[in-house]
Amino acid sequence: MTKRRWLAHIVFRALVHRRGRTLLLLAVLTLASSLATALGLVSVSMRARVAEETKRYGANLVIMPESARVEVGSGGLRFGAIGEPAYLAQDQVLAALARSGVKGDYSFHLKGVLTLKGVEIPCEGVDFAQVRRLSPWWQVDGDWPRPGEVLGGSDLTQRYHVHSGDLFDFTFGKETVRARVSGVVTSGGDEDDSLFVNLPELQQQMGRPGQVSEVRLLADPGNGPLKEQAACLQRFLPGASVKELRQVGRTSEELLGKVQLLMLLVTAVVLVCAGSSVAGTMSTTVLERSKEIGLMKAMGGSRWDLLKIFSAEALLLGVGAGVGGFLLGGLIAKFVARSVFAADAALRPEFLSVAVGVSLLLALAGSVGPLLSVFRLDPVQSLRGE
Amino acid sequence: MLTALKVIPQLLCWAVLVPVMCRSLTGMSTAVAAAAGFVAGVAGENLLLAYVGGELPFRPLRGICGVIFLLLWGASVWALYRSGSTSPESGQPTPSPLASGAAALGTGVLAGALTLCRLAPLEGGAVRLVPYLTLACAGAAVALGAAYAARFLPQRLVPRGIPLVALVVSALMLMACSVQRLDLFSPLSMEVMKFVHDFVHQFFESMLIPDHPFFRADVWGYIGLLFGDKVGLWGGLALWYLPVLLIALSLRLERLPSVAHIRQGAARRKLLASFIHERRLRLAAPLLALVFLTGAAYQSRFPATEYWDPKPVEVSANPAGQIAIPKKGEIDLEDGKLHKFSYRQGSREARFFVMLTPAGQLVTTLDACAICQPEGYGQAGNAVICYYCRTLIPLETVGKPGGCNPVPVPCSVKGDAVVIDGMTLVNTWESTVQVTAHGKGMGK
Amino acid sequence: MAAIIETSGLTRSYGDICALKPLDLCVPEGEWLTVMGHSGSGKSTLLNLLGGLDRPSGGSIHVRGTDLATLSEDGLARFRRDCVGIIFQQHHLIPYLTALENVMMSQYFHSVPDEAEARHALERVGLGHRLKNRPGELSGGEQQRVCIARAIINSPRLLLGDEPTGNLDHKSTTMVMELLRELRDEERFSIVMVTHNQEVAAWGDRTIHMDDGCLVREERTKSC
Repeated sequence: MTKRRWLAHIVFRALVHRRGRTLLLLAVLTLASSLATALGLVSVSMRARVAEETKRYGANLVIMPESARVEVGSGGLRFGAIGEPAYLAQDQVLAALARSGVKGDYSFHLKGVLTLKGVEIPCEGVDFAQVRRLSPWWQVDGDWPRPGEVLGGSDLTQRYHVHSGDLFDFTFGKETVRARVSGVVTSGGDEDDSLFVNLPELQQQMGRPGQVSEVRLLADPGNGPLKEQAACLQRFLPGASVKELRQVGRTSEELLGKVQLLMLLVTAVVLVCAGSSVAGTMSTTVLERSKEIGLMKAMGGSRWDLLKIFSAEALLLGVGAGVGGFLLGGLIAKFVARSVFAADAALRPEFLSVAVGVSLLLALAGSVGPLLSVFRLDPVQSLRGE
Repeated sequence: MLTALKVIPQLLCWAVLVPVMCRSLTGMSTAVAAAAGFVAGVAGENLLLAYVGGELPFRPLRGICGVIFLLLWGASVWALYRSGSTSPESGQPTPSPLASGAAALGTGVLAGALTLCRLAPLEGGAVRLVPYLTLACAGAAVALGAAYAARFLPQRLVPRGIPLVALVVSALMLMACSVQRLDLFSPLSMEVMKFVHDFVHQFFESMLIPDHPFFRADVWGYIGLLFGDKVGLWGGLALWYLPVLLIALSLRLERLPSVAHIRQGAARRKLLASFIHERRLRLAAPLLALVFLTGAAYQSRFPATEYWDPKPVEVSANPAGQIAIPKKGEIDLEDGKLHKFSYRQGSREARFFVMLTPAGQLVTTLDACAICQPEGYGQAGNAVICYYCRTLIPLETVGKPGGCNPVPVPCSVKGDAVVIDGMTLVNTWESTVQVTAHGKGMGK
Repeated sequence: MAAIIETSGLTRSYGDICALKPLDLCVPEGEWLTVMGHSGSGKSTLLNLLGGLDRPSGGSIHVRGTDLATLSEDGLARFRRDCVGIIFQQHHLIPYLTALENVMMSQYFHSVPDEAEARHALERVGLGHRLKNRPGELSGGEQQRVCIARAIINSPRLLLGDEPTGNLDHKSTTMVMELLRELRDEERFSIVMVTHNQEVAAWGDRTIHMDDGCLVREERTKSC
């Protein structure tokens, strides 16, 4: 038997011998490291999500009617909408574009609601050719729709079993229209839970011909700063507001920053608590085992040998708790992300090192004091004991 | 002052190497031989630089470095082969004074020459007198001083035989890799990449199954990994580390001494324990060698040389789609340095540079080549370097197509301006970058 | 015969209390020395000094030629693992390890653990059938025999016993003593044993009596 295997063996025996205490330490360390992992995972995946959303907007300007609903937050951080729906006239926007001299690609959007099998689902009227140009990231499984066909978001597939090629009866208010779903679109954003209908058809069904609820515009940034272009366009559109789309992303970034700060504080407090509890438990253990330590010294164990044995114990606990904390943290992160942010936080392997690192650091930092006392312990006194 | 900083890593390496050699060879005389060798190496290399010039002074050095690396490979295989068969008690015979002196001298010459190359000016020519003399003196002083420090090196840590060779070679590799023109690691990884690429290509060509239904899309994904840009790096690293790892393995595999003849259990165990302990200590030399090799690979990946690399200046085309850049505008195009520009057409963008070749011709090329990822070029003296594959391209050949040369773009000189067609530029850029950025060949 | 222990003017005091007054002692190689005295007479202090567990306040103490007073902390640990085996009154076995593992622990500190050899040592002290038992499952006499196996596993030249039979009944005492004599006859190590049992003292070659830190009387027991 090699020395290293023997070391592992006796450390394991000692841990099993003090089962209760080992479990307590493991639980504390696991909890601390899982919390750190979970918070890290949540904040990283949220940040990635926000960054993706901001990047994803092909359009850089958005024109909305003045009293339109204001959506707070974006993507995963959506907090709802305020206000009543309002609409813009298509012609007015086109005229304003022509007169202001702002050039760029644009797409019209009309948001509405239709009923499918008795359930209200959001729908959006778009010109598919425009959308296709402006949103190159849309992945369509199936075909882009021809007239009389619709495009379903990928989340609808799961919820309402909408598949490409299916025929459905959609109810707009009073009328029922039968349409074929030509394809399913995956964009990774909000588009996934709405149904896309040809714009003129939706306008007709909603009784709002020529009206839209939003215009997205990809203004050429080469023609000057976006802010100026937005202001220029604004002058010709009195009943609407022109905004830079990036603003939306910026707000959610700020919000995310605050949430992260809060998380960081909580993690710090938890780590300090866990660290002190580990230190307490460890030093009790060392006190209890002082006779054993004295004996090992009397048998010829050098101070270094004993340090090795006890830090190996802390190491084993730390690694074990780190792996456990990683898995538990992944679960917690999934739960938090789903219930609070309505998003998914995937388990990232690089956080294994974070989890193990945190619990190792705690275990070792907590055992510094006890290890020092192991180092100094006088074999004669500890052996005399009773 | 800056020149002094440049050679500090080399001198540090040298300062580690000499005491180890002193202890494992023949002591003070080894240090003297090494110091003499260092001075000779510095002087010899400077003579070569002064009277031969060009690439010639570097070529033999690079060749020698390559050969000793190959020898290290041979030694490692030999060590591994022998590790199981020898009884460790026989030990290593102490080398004869003549052989150890020769070894120290040779190491000194190489180390001196390599260190001097670090100081060699990029434009060619010899190192100036003051740094040259200072370097020679510093190397000799370090060697002799280190011989004194060697006394404090514990005997048990001193490597002998093949581990010593590994340490010396890896230190020399570190010295070599910090000089752009002597770098061995980059060519190694390039070769690995080419080999893998060619091999897979040949393999599929000969099997004549370019698109067999048996290979599903994900299988193609794995095959695509072989064409990834990291293959060269990882393959190169494997070849780079393997000899030293093999040597470490051979030390680790050394058989335990026979203890059957010792009757007393305690004495038997003591002997075993001390042998295992010493075997572990012997691993120190290969570990240090690994550190050196890592340093070498790092320096080769992220060289310390500063390149002339201006920020691209945005230019626009006139209504006819022509880009005109004045020769003597804000930027003097004819100063012999490369000047980067970027051009935007809608959402398409292209990066290119204009420079005057030594032949006196103004050339316009993309800031990318036909084979690498478009990471661009920088200029170092009389060559430009591709940041991706770290190939040095002499200025004489800039403007000519092929290999890793920047892709030329047709241009004309009209009056005092260089005129480029915007459309051609963007199209060339896109066709080049589309090929290189998404991997070539079997893409499925 | 060469001396294994040689002390001159050896003292040890704790603050004002002088536990050991200047002591000159010489133990030849292979001798079995018994130290007797009341509790507090300084005999345990002497034993700790001889075993390198404690440092003297004054004087010199040579064991096998090395001066223990000059050794560093790690040097003392090395001395303990190579030269000394100690048997305690309370046995001091590690509670969560089996008898076999307790013996192997000593091997671990000395060099490398060797299971076959540890098993052989336990068989020698008559515990071949209790290898896998924890100390809690062994009787006092058996525990003491594990302790002896552990003390002799590294072939020490000096065996120290701190009232090894203090907790044992008459029958176990005799068994342990017989075992010790047997082992000593085989391995030729020296024994220094502290006891206040007159009967146990009779097993040794020589007995010294201590009182209040001083050597008061010395007698040579007739060898059986």
